[in-house]
Amino acid sequence: MAQSSQPSGTQEQRVETFVQAFRTLRAEMQKVIVGHDDVVNQVLVGLFAGGHVLLEGVPGLGKTLLIKTLSECLDLTFSRIQFTPDLMPGDIIGTNIIAEDAGGRKHFQFQRGPIFGHILLADEVNRATPKTQSALLEGMQEGNVTVSGTGHPLPSPFFVLATQNPIEMEGTYPLPEAQLDRFIFKLRVRYPVLEELTEIIDRTTRTREVEVQRVMTGPQVMAFRELVREVPLATHVRELASYIVLASHPQWDRAPEAARRFVRYGASPRGAQALVLGAKVRALSEGRYNVSVEDLRAMALPALRHRLILNFEGEAEGVDADTLIDQLVEAAEVLSTTGKDAFVR
Amino acid sequence: MPDPKILERLVEQVMREVRIRRAEFWALRGLFAGAVAAAVPLLFRESLGALAFVLAGALLVAGALAGGLWGFSRKVRPAEAARLADRGFGFQDRVATAIEWAERPDRTPLVDALLTDTVARVEARDGRRVVPRLLPREAKLVPLPLALGLVLALAPPIPLPTGGLPNFTAKSEEDETKPGDRGGKIESDERKAAARREPLPRADMQERTVSPRQGGGGSTQAGDLAAVFKDTSLGSKSPDFNAFLKKGDERIRMLEQVDRLPDLQRDFTQSQGKAMFQRAKELRGAMGGNQFSPDKMRELLNEMEKLGRKGGGQNPWSGEIGEGMEALEQGQNDKAMDAMERALNKLRSMEEKGRDGKGLRGGRESERRGAQRGNQRGQGQPGPGDEGDFPEGEGLFPGKGKSGNPKGDPTQRLRANPFDVGVEGQSRSGRKEGMDTNLLGKGANTPSRLQYLGVVGQYRKMMEEAIAREQVPRDYQSQVKQYFQSLDEK
Repeated sequence: MAQSSQPSGTQEQRVETFVQAFRTLRAEMQKVIVGHDDVVNQVLVGLFAGGHVLLEGVPGLGKTLLIKTLSECLDLTFSRIQFTPDLMPGDIIGTNIIAEDAGGRKHFQFQRGPIFGHILLADEVNRATPKTQSALLEGMQEGNVTVSGTGHPLPSPFFVLATQNPIEMEGTYPLPEAQLDRFIFKLRVRYPVLEELTEIIDRTTRTREVEVQRVMTGPQVMAFRELVREVPLATHVRELASYIVLASHPQWDRAPEAARRFVRYGASPRGAQALVLGAKVRALSEGRYNVSVEDLRAMALPALRHRLILNFEGEAEGVDADTLIDQLVEAAEVLSTTGKDAFVR
Repeated sequence: MPDPKILERLVEQVMREVRIRRAEFWALRGLFAGAVAAAVPLLFRESLGALAFVLAGALLVAGALAGGLWGFSRKVRPAEAARLADRGFGFQDRVATAIEWAERPDRTPLVDALLTDTVARVEARDGRRVVPRLLPREAKLVPLPLALGLVLALAPPIPLPTGGLPNFTAKSEEDETKPGDRGGKIESDERKAAARREPLPRADMQERTVSPRQGGGGSTQAGDLAAVFKDTSLGSKSPDFNAFLKKGDERIRMLEQVDRLPDLQRDFTQSQGKAMFQRAKELRGAMGGNQFSPDKMRELLNEMEKLGRKGGGQNPWSGEIGEGMEALEQGQNDKAMDAMERALNKLRSMEEKGRDGKGLRGGRESERRGAQRGNQRGQGQPGPGDEGDFPEGEGLFPGKGKSGNPKGDPTQRLRANPFDVGVEGQSRSGRKEGMDTNLLGKGANTPSRLQYLGVVGQYRKMMEEAIAREQVPRDYQSQVKQYFQSLDEK
């Protein structure tokens, strides 16, 4: 445990610090981002859970702006990669170049790519080829990249925020399942409502630009990540998380009917990890010292929606993954006897 | 360090609540079952008396008590109670997590903060009950059996049916004292006989004793078809099961030949001639009044004409019929009636001839033979066995002579093989032997049901139509025509 990086004081103070930092960071972001409170919250949850977040939405909704704002609020290095079909893995990771030392001797020198930053914005990630997309795999999962047999550790914290457009699919390469599974959350950026749109117009068409403050450093982020993992989890909550993930598997003998009908492959164990970690961050962000069933319910959608692979029937009927997950959670609650009537039956 | 005992006390309190709620839940179920059961003794209140009320009340109370005890005694796990407390008080799983993690060795630093926070919240809670009351489905139905029981209790006792089922086995005194009518006497006699009947021996111990049948040795009449159904061979033989089976099979085959059986459907009481007489009588009675109808007279004459033709051969009353029709055409009803009377007299004489004893043999076989004889008589050439009317006591078949049996003896052929009855390969005397249409072989045993002349006309018509449609080759057409002409000449 990185005691040195912990905020000083009692556990209550640690948690209070986290809550305040979380709220401050959110408030700073909301200076720029109008609306999208859930998305902002879940981006921060993903940040403190130690995962990477995929944002999906039509162009113009502020995905890139949200990520840039986050990078400005954090005292961390920021890289942006605009994914295009001709982007190569070396353009992301970096490459060996021939360098000449003072003595005139030539040697290969690794030139770091944009992946070597704390916060990486992979804009329109589905426009690059799968070969380039998979250049991110090692770095996202292990925080390390290997070039010519030599491993290069990525800076910590390393946080990838990718965007993709769900509508403009021509000339795109949908992310493979292995790549998708690396993202802890997939967030859907929805269209703003009337009041939000009005506010957006007000904020962005004036001469005065909004300035955000850097409110959090990298070590603080890492300390909060450690704090998150200390949040206790009750057995029945942990079982519910397992039931939710298992309920997404049509092969499971107790899988609900919805999973049997529409799901081809269910969520991986990474889904359960994402579910619990997200629930822990959410609990802590609310000043709680434990994970509740409500936290799992709240994090089920962002943690699982990109991990369900629908079968032909599901795709043909246009089954919405969010609706399906809601049904799976309900079924899992019944299976784990957390239903209201379980105690009197 | 907060005291986790507070959390345990909270859990115990919730467990008690759960037990109480379960007891209520199951008591309502038991009450429903008891109320349904309580209606039964109230139904029999007439026979049970005041005991019915006691039983009904006891069942009601017992049902509710048993249900309540069952619900209260069911096990409640502390973890479930803790979760229920969390849900009931809105603790967001704090109590369950704190209790679980307080005892774990791998507790994190946050667990202490969790315990402190949870205890503070538990101490600050209000005193409300957290376990919701659940009503079973039966709770809505409880008023129904209760109302039924109340109605049964307040209403007069339901009279139950008295008496029992009639005793069919033992003789009652009423039967003995009842003046015996005929049916009762027969029934009582049969009952006595049944009582005297000895029990049947077991099949494997049964001794087969077949006594010779009385009168089975050939006391049948000649030509009596019923003879073939009589046992004429077993009487003098010792019991032989194989022979018995063989005979049985032969008789079954015989029964399958329906044409050989007596025509039981024939109405002997209402012959066609009799119908003619009745209709002529009606016409005669109508002669004096206005009800006489020449059309009816003409219709009757036509039917008599048909009847005469139906008998085969020449119509015996064709002259009278023709005279009557001519008189009708001239409007001389009296003359027509006289002609009809004469025709009826001839018909009556023929009917009388048919009653001379030989006509009572019945069966289509004898009818067919009679028709054959009639044809031969009509041609004036008596057959080899036809000697006009048979003398009384003589059979149909020739060569047997007179017999002492008034009905004659069965022929040897019939006794030997009842299937070999028909005339096989008999050559018809006459000039065209090659045109003999008698069937040979198996077909000879199933003589035609239709009269010969009744169908030959139809066949001739069919032949003419076939020739007209050129279905018969031209080279054979003359030959076919000659064939049918020969039929007419017979």
